[in-house]
Formats: sequence, structure tokens, C-alpha cells
Amino acid sequence: MSTVVALSTPRGRGALAVIRLSGPQALAIVQRMAEVDAFDARRATLTNLKAGNDAEIIDQVLVTCFQAPHSLTGEDVVEISCHGSPAIVRRIVDVTLELGAELAGPGEFTLRALTNGKINLAQAEAIRDLIAAQTDAAVKQANRQLNGELSKALDPFKEKLVEVIVLLESALEFVEDDLPAPQLDHIEQALDSVIAGVGHLSASYSAGRLLQDGARVAITGPPNVGKSSLFNSLVRHERAIVTDVPGTTRDTLSEAIDIGGVPVILTDTAGLRETTDDVETLGIERTHRAMGDADLVLLVLDGSSELGPEDRDLLDRTTGACRLVVMNKSDLPSFQPFASCVDDVTPINVSARTGDGLPSLHSAILAKLNSSGADNGSLLITNARHYDLLCNAKKELESARACFLDRHSEELILAPLHNALKWLGQITGEKTTEDILSEIFATFCIGK
Amino acid sequence: MFDERFDVIVIGAGHAGCEAASAAARLGAETGLITLNLDLVGQMSCNPAIGGIAKGHLVREIDALGGIMGRVIDRTGIQFRLLNRSRGPAVQSPRAQADRMRYRAEMRRTLEGTSNLHLRQGKVVDFILDHGEVAGVELEDGRRFSARAVVVATGTFLNGLIHTGRRTYRGGRAGEPPSIELAESLKRLGFPVGRLKTGTPPRLDGRTIDWDAFEPQPGDQVPVPFSFSTDRLEQKQINCHIGYTTPEVHDSIRQNLSESPLYSGAIKGVGPRYCPSIEDKVVKFSDKSRHQLFLEPEGHDTNEVYLNGFSTSLPAELQQDLVRMIPGLDEARVIRPGYAIEYDFVDPRELGPDLQTARVRGLFHAGQINGTTGYEEAACQGLIAGINAALYTQNRGGIRMRREESYIGVLIEDLIKQGVDEPYRIFTSRAEYRLALRYDNADERLERYGREIGLVGDSDWERFNSRQTRLALLRKALDETRLRKSDAQHAAVSALLNADLGDVISLAQLAKRPRVTANLIMSLLPGELKPVTESDLSSVLADSLYEGYLNSQKATIAKLYQHDGLRIPGDMAFQAISGLSNEVVERLDRARPQTFGEARRLPGLTPAALSTLLVFLSVQQKAI
Repeated sequence: MSTVVALSTPRGRGALAVIRLSGPQALAIVQRMAEVDAFDARRATLTNLKAGNDAEIIDQVLVTCFQAPHSLTGEDVVEISCHGSPAIVRRIVDVTLELGAELAGPGEFTLRALTNGKINLAQAEAIRDLIAAQTDAAVKQANRQLNGELSKALDPFKEKLVEVIVLLESALEFVEDDLPAPQLDHIEQALDSVIAGVGHLSASYSAGRLLQDGARVAITGPPNVGKSSLFNSLVRHERAIVTDVPGTTRDTLSEAIDIGGVPVILTDTAGLRETTDDVETLGIERTHRAMGDADLVLLVLDGSSELGPEDRDLLDRTTGACRLVVMNKSDLPSFQPFASCVDDVTPINVSARTGDGLPSLHSAILAKLNSSGADNGSLLITNARHYDLLCNAKKELESARACFLDRHSEELILAPLHNALKWLGQITGEKTTEDILSEIFATFCIGK
Repeated sequence: MFDERFDVIVIGAGHAGCEAASAAARLGAETGLITLNLDLVGQMSCNPAIGGIAKGHLVREIDALGGIMGRVIDRTGIQFRLLNRSRGPAVQSPRAQADRMRYRAEMRRTLEGTSNLHLRQGKVVDFILDHGEVAGVELEDGRRFSARAVVVATGTFLNGLIHTGRRTYRGGRAGEPPSIELAESLKRLGFPVGRLKTGTPPRLDGRTIDWDAFEPQPGDQVPVPFSFSTDRLEQKQINCHIGYTTPEVHDSIRQNLSESPLYSGAIKGVGPRYCPSIEDKVVKFSDKSRHQLFLEPEGHDTNEVYLNGFSTSLPAELQQDLVRMIPGLDEARVIRPGYAIEYDFVDPRELGPDLQTARVRGLFHAGQINGTTGYEEAACQGLIAGINAALYTQNRGGIRMRREESYIGVLIEDLIKQGVDEPYRIFTSRAEYRLALRYDNADERLERYGREIGLVGDSDWERFNSRQTRLALLRKALDETRLRKSDAQHAAVSALLNADLGDVISLAQLAKRPRVTANLIMSLLPGELKPVTESDLSSVLADSLYEGYLNSQKATIAKLYQHDGLRIPGDMAFQAISGLSNEVVERLDRARPQTFGEARRLPGLTPAALSTLLVFLSVQQKAI
């Protein structure tokens, strides 16, 4: 087995960088570069690194060794924390390559951990999510799945499902044994609770997906109500995320910001409309498209004047969407703070100019996005494959339940139950089939 | 230097050995069947019954392939019941009580009537090898027989050790000597050997039983035979009886547990969880106030009664006391005490799907030596081993049973891929494709294989084909016979089912509705199709009941095998793949599979190992 090396922290200049080696030669390679004679397992040791005995010092680093199998990959692993200069990192990696290491392929550390049984599939996917995670809340969520929380959350349902399967199977297989008749209401309750549990987890996907991919929030409203001002003050008020996500640079009308840990892609549809020469029609169409794509629509109205027919029209048309109504210009004397434009709408009053009311808007946006509980500490599904599998399982469970209520013979109820167990098993990788693995590794391209 | 020359030698004339010898001989191989006692050919060591859930499926499959067990039990069965009648057709299964002595006699008559088949009494003590391949066997009395293929079907005789109470003695069955030398020679050849345990209950004198204290259990009014060729049963049919243990019996067992070799630690072998001794039942299910017992007559020519459900290895004198505590058995006398037996088995992961060992070419293992339990499990392995042994000596390719096509395939694949850690019994739940594997369609699934190999004779083949033609006609009729709103029958059926049937409905569609019985469909069939037999109609209706499920299963099967074409480079260094155990690497190196599909079918390759291999093959292909 080869020994692989890779930079484990993001590329570019930082205070520190971590270089990781994994494989049988990891310790020997680092030992030949280090000035100290030996490393204690799992203890950080300060040492100078050199290219060879007489060579000059490359950097003063912290070295931590993890001996097989007690490491991330199950192999000998050495982590070198060096200073975060790209030149130093490149020099250290180059020397390890000269000493026999190979550059790790994409996902190779995770692959090794998986093949050595250190992590299961759900954890491998969580590592990928962790690396791709954009904000604190998403990191926290990815961490939860990494710690096997998804597996843990699923286990009780799988156990209950197995319990039902066992009851029905034994009724079939052991007809000659004097078994107590299965308690029908017990089976029904157990099925209901598994369906509810699996359903609850799969329903968390929309919130989970927002954490992972970012929520799309569109600002819309009639002309001259201050949409662009609101856009700019929101971007100024919140911490902008510096990423290279396409379409989120400053010269477009979208901006990626972090609202309470949720990555948000804020889009100002106003600009679209105002720069269009061919007046209303095209502009409205584009606005509608932006609104249709959005997870949340901020409908901005001018609170300093009476609502006009155009305002009411927009209110009507956005009724079905996930929206917040924002009354802007609260700093003007003519503003009517409690203007209830439509029944059952509670507008949020802000002044884009002074920043007044922005914290309330902030909370309201979070509350809307988190309606499935992104921040209340419960586990969220963030991975599309997990979501699909949960939906499949739920469908099978429901069909089993229907079979059961129709009092079909056990083998017909069991067919979908076994399928459901298979789908759930595929999430944690316990019942690995060739399919699932090839699918994962076809998409598994990040992760060191 | 050889006293006799055979093509195939079968060691042991139990249920595996009889099928193996019969199949090999009928395929044209000169076959020697060697047994310790010619009077005990086809002996049922334990309960006098064949079939049961999933086991009945196996017997039907044996029959469809051209085996003999189904015919022999049909001629000697004294009570037939189709189990799970209230459930769907896929999980129904035939079962029969056998007349133990007549079963033996009929089996011996069948074997003696087979050309090329030669019964020999003797004790095989060693294998004769030539360049690592089987060349024959050596007997205790010094005789040497040559053969190119040897099937080992030694049952519980390999190094058998019998326990009753604290007494132990060497034996292959009560009153019969064990086979110790053969166990040693298998070990010398390097086979990994383990230890299993099984047990049997006491047999009672039927004249001392108060039969009125028990509930009679009659057989079916219309018995369902095992063999597709059986038209009618010959034996007079009898009742079994059901009774129960009492808390007093349980207390007494608990007080005497120290006398049981199971609980004193004397027995090291692992017993089957699904066939527990009465000691185990009492200890592990202490909240149960009674355990069910079956009184099964051993046959028409004897008073002996088998006390099913009371398997025990407690001391013989204690067994007598315990039996008399059971209501209705107050006066009962034990004819033969129950006992536990430990025996050697060889790790079945040594075998290929043809049941040939990878270690010694020409050597085949079948039955309990592979870690299974049950006559039916043994017989189906015997059949496959016998067929493959004969084909091997004729330089013809072997047969391999697929798990999506037969319970035999499920059993063999489970054995050779997963090995055993307790005696292996077949269950319907072991079959992923259970809905497709029905007892009534075993012929449709397998008869053509039996015909291709040469075990299914002309008359059976003709019968099979005429049944297939009848089923096809019936299927067509069910699709084409439609009830229209204008018909009187439409209104009558709607009223009967209290359901809206729409403007027009075919009988096939009608059959899928709840509460529609085979009798109702029968009454609606056009006159020219009558008389339709109940069994034909149930088969066709079962096809239609499971159709939707079976289609989605087909898709699953196709998906399962989608990677089979992935090529493995000829110079693939398996030992360089981390995550593969040395054992797996060894197997891969020995077999040098060229595709993933070939690797997938290798014995001993765990799902985890296959996944790892697949990942590496995929990564490698991407790199190219």
C-alpha cells in the first residue's frame, strides 16, 4: 500500500496549514525530515523540518502521529502543522514526495478510511459535506452526520422495522410452532411510528438543503420603494461570504451573505426591472422567474404612502409564495407603522436608509427559512441521496401499511418491508450493494 | 491394485447420499454407494416427516430436477398436509409424515432398480489421491475402490459423539458406530473442520399412550403430493396428535439442568436455534407455561411413536420420569431415549457452486458435512453433488443453481459464500425472491434443467409440457373472458363482492381483487375449459397475484448484476487492494476471475470484499 500526502487545509495564504500523510511509510518519511528523534503517538511535537540531514530548515512545525489502526484512515497517519505560506507547503510536500510519498487522489483519505472500516458510507458523505460546507450552521450539521447522528437517528426506526418483520416472518415460517398470534394493533402502531419517523427525517431535507446549498432570497416590489437600498444595507449589515460561487460577485445583482449561519443568496430583482427598456412585460416576466426560483420572497412596499393598486396586485400574486412583506421608509414622517395592508399579513417595518428594523427583518428571514427547524438543534437531511432513500423507504412502508390494513397475506406485506429496510440500510452502508458504492464514488471528488 | 472400479463413489446412504448416487448412476456413471449398514439406507435419523415451510419447496425442486425424494415420500407418506393454506401461495408448502420403515424399504427398492448403481456395505477410512486429485477410497476391511469423483455424504457420523445425561459414547447415530478415520483423513487433507450439535427426542410405545388426552390432527382431505408425477397416494392415512407440557415438567427439568450436557458444558458443538431441546425451551422461554408436543406415529407396522417437540439429552431414566408427567403420558414407556449428538462438519466455503472442493479436485461434499440440518437440505445437496460428480467424470460442465431461481440455489450460495456458525436450515425468508419461488411452480422453474442434464425422462417431460400447455390456455382464458355490465354474471359478482366492477372486467383482473376465491373464478370460466384442476388454476392465479411484485423484482435482479461485465485486468495484483483479507486475496489469486461477475460468484467473497473490489475496479477504469 502506498503512502499518500496532501494539503488538508484550503489552498492559499493563511496563518497555518496542515499537511497530512497516510500509509505505512508516513512516520518514516516525516522522521527523516524532522530534527527530533521520536514522536509520541497522538501528541503534538515541536520540531524543525529539513529536506535532509545537512539541508537548511524549511519550517518550524508541529507534528502529530496517529498509529494504525487508531487514525482517521486506519493507517499510520502523520499531520504536520506548518506556517501557512504556499511556498513552505509546497516545499514540505515536495520533500515527502522525494522520500517516497505519493500525492493523494481526490477523496483518497476518505476512501482509505472507508475501505479500512473506519467510517461508514453516511460518515463518508458527511465528510464531503463538511468540506463543502459554507457556514457555521452547515458545518455543525455536517458534523452531526459525521458523528453518526443520522445512523443513530435511523437506528430506532430500523430496529422497530426489523421487529415488525420478525413478527410477520415468524408467523409465516413457524406455523407449526405454538406461537402467540401477532398483535395486530402493535404492528400497526409500530408501522405508523416508523413511517412518521422516516417521514419526519425526509421532510427536514428542504431545511437541510438550504443549509448546504444556500437559500435563495429574492427582493421584489414596485419601483421606487427602496429595494436596492434594502439589498445594499442587508449586504452591508450581514457578513458577506467570500466565495467563488458563480453569480455571486459584486457586479451582479446577487450577493451571498450569511444570516445567522444560513448561507443566503440575495437577489435584487429591482435592478432587472429598472434597466429594462422594453418597459413592463419583459421586466415582470424576469421578476417572476426570480421569484419562482426563490426559497423566500421579500416583497418590499413603500410604507410612507398609501398602498396603490399595483401594491395590492403584487400582494395578491405572492400570496402562495414563501414571503415576507417589508414596509420600507420607516424613517419618513408619513410612515404608517401598523399599516395592515392585507388581513393575516404582518409586515416588517424597516428603514433601509437608517438600518432601523434590520435586526427584526434578519430574525424574520431566519424564522421563515428555519420553519423546518434548521437551528433548533434537530437533525437535518442535507444529502440528496439520503433524501431519495428516505422517500423510497417511506413509499415502501406506506404500501406495506396499506397491504397490512387490507389484511393481505404476510408475504405481501413483507415484500415492501424488506425493500424499506434495504433502502434505509443503504444510507448507513450496512447493506452495501455494488450500485450504491459505484454511485458514491462516481460523485466523490472532494475530501482530503 | 483396485478391488472394484467406479466412476463415482458416494460415501453414506442417507438422504444426500441416496440422491447423489441415484442421479450419478442415471447420468450414466458407474456409481458405488458405500454405507455402514445396508439395512439403513434412507434412514430418517430424527423425525419421521418430510417437508414443511421452505423444506417442501426444496423437495418439489428436487423432483423437478429429476431427483427421487418426492416420489419416495409420496409412496410411503401416511399423513399429508399443505401448510400455510390461509396465506399466499408463495409461502404454502407441503409436509408429510413418513412410515419410517417403508420409506427405507422404498428408497432401497428405488436404488436397487437403478442401472449402473451398486450398493456396497463397508466403512471408508481414507481417500486415495493421484496428483492431488481423487482416485478412489480405501475401506476398513482393506478393499480399495477406484473412482474419478467421490461424494462425501456422511451426515452426523463424522467423529460423532453421543450424549445422554453425563454419559457420552462415540456413535454416528444411536446404536451405530461413528466414522472417525474419515474425519481424520479430511483433516489431513487440510480441510477446516468445525463442530456442530443436534438432538432428538425419546420414542414411546404407542400402546402405553392415553390417546384420548390428545387433540387429533388429521391430514388434508385432498392431500397435496410432493412429486409432480404423483397422481394418487398409496398408503392409508393416519392422524397425528397434539399435546402440551406442564409447569411441573418445566420445574423438574430446571431442577435437573446440571444433568444436561447442554448446560454442564460437556457439549461444545453449536446447536440449531430453531430446533431447541426441551431444556433450552424451558430455560430460554421461562415465561411460557406450556410447550406444544406432537405425537407422530412412526408407521403402520410399529407401535413406536415419535414425541416431536421434546428433544433432550437429559439422562435416560430422567426422560422416562419427565414423559410420565405429561398429561396423557402417565403410563407411557420410552422405547428409545432421546440424545444429543456432536459431529464434525467441513467449512462449506471450501466448496464451489457445484459442491466440489477447491482443495481436492473430484471431491464433493453434500449434506450435514456442509453444516446443514434437515433431510430435504441434505437431499438437494446430494442431488447437485451427484449430478456434478457424474458430469465431472464425463468431462461435461457442471450445473449451478441460481438463488433467484430456486431455494436450492439460495441454500448452496449461502453455504459457500457465508459458511455456517450453526446448523443451517432453509427458510423462505432466506430467499430474496420468495414470491417467485413457489412450491407449485418448481417445475416451471427447473424441469428444463433436469431435462437438459438428462435426469427427467420422456414421460415426465411429456407430463410437464402438457401441464405448461394447459396453464397457457388457462392464462389466455382468464385474460380473454370478460364480464360485461350487460351480463347477468357481472351483476351477480358485483353484488357478491359489494364492489363496482366497472363496465367490463377480465377474470384475470377480477382475480386480483380481495375476497375473490379460486372457486368463484372456476365458476366463471367458459364451459369448454372445464374440467380445470384446482392445482392448475391456483398456479395461474398465483402468477397473476404476484405479477406486479415479480416485475419489480426482475428490475432489481437486473440492477444487481449490472456490474458483472466489468473486466478485471489479467495482471491485477489483488494483494495490493487494501481492505481485502488474506483469505479473500488467496481465493481471488487461485480463481483469477476475468470479470466482476465471475468474482461475485466465487465462494467466500463477502459483500464487503466485493464492494471494495468494485470500488477499485471503478477507480482504475476511470483512471484509464
